[in-house]
Amino acid sequence: MADTIKWETSLDAALARAKAEDKPILLDFFNPL
Amino acid sequence: MGAVTYPNPKVIKFVNERMIPLQVRFDAQPISTDFKVKWTPTIITLDSRGEEHHRTVGFLAPEELIPSLLLGIAKMYFDADKFNDALANLNQLLSEYPESDASSEAIYLRGVCLYKSTHDAKPLKEAYEKLNASDPKGEWTKRAYPYRLL
Repeated sequence: MADTIKWETSLDAALARAKAEDKPILLDFFNPL
Repeated sequence: MGAVTYPNPKVIKFVNERMIPLQVRFDAQPISTDFKVKWTPTIITLDSRGEEHHRTVGFLAPEELIPSLLLGIAKMYFDADKFNDALANLNQLLSEYPESDASSEAIYLRGVCLYKSTHDAKPLKEAYEKLNASDPKGEWTKRAYPYRLL
């Protein structure tokens, strides 16, 4: 099992994976500070 | 979220197996404006076309994030009239996280899914009775109040 969440950082890449893997997207807006 | 919830092993497993995780800064453009983000953390469930189905704002502990995501997935299927898929996620939420904050909405939505897939009104009344028994003054109990008469 992965020891971290494997985040995508671009919506286009996430959408492509979501279509290919037939999964929903978890979109997290965060504040790095 | 980054310090407590996302490093949690159950959260890592659930997110990596069941969803495509996408993390962006709150001020990233144009996505932040497109999704009208005003505060963090904002967590949104999207389908593979980029349509929004569920949103939360504010910190969620691990034991609240997973049921919230299950609710989001269920709402995505509900919006697509895929009631059996919605029910599978709602049933998992209610069996594994019955005390979570998402459970009341899940009970309500489960009743609606069962009604829409069978056209039998009994599940709506059962949803109200379950909500009224567990949280008589709750938001979702009030929303289900008319179903007591079915």
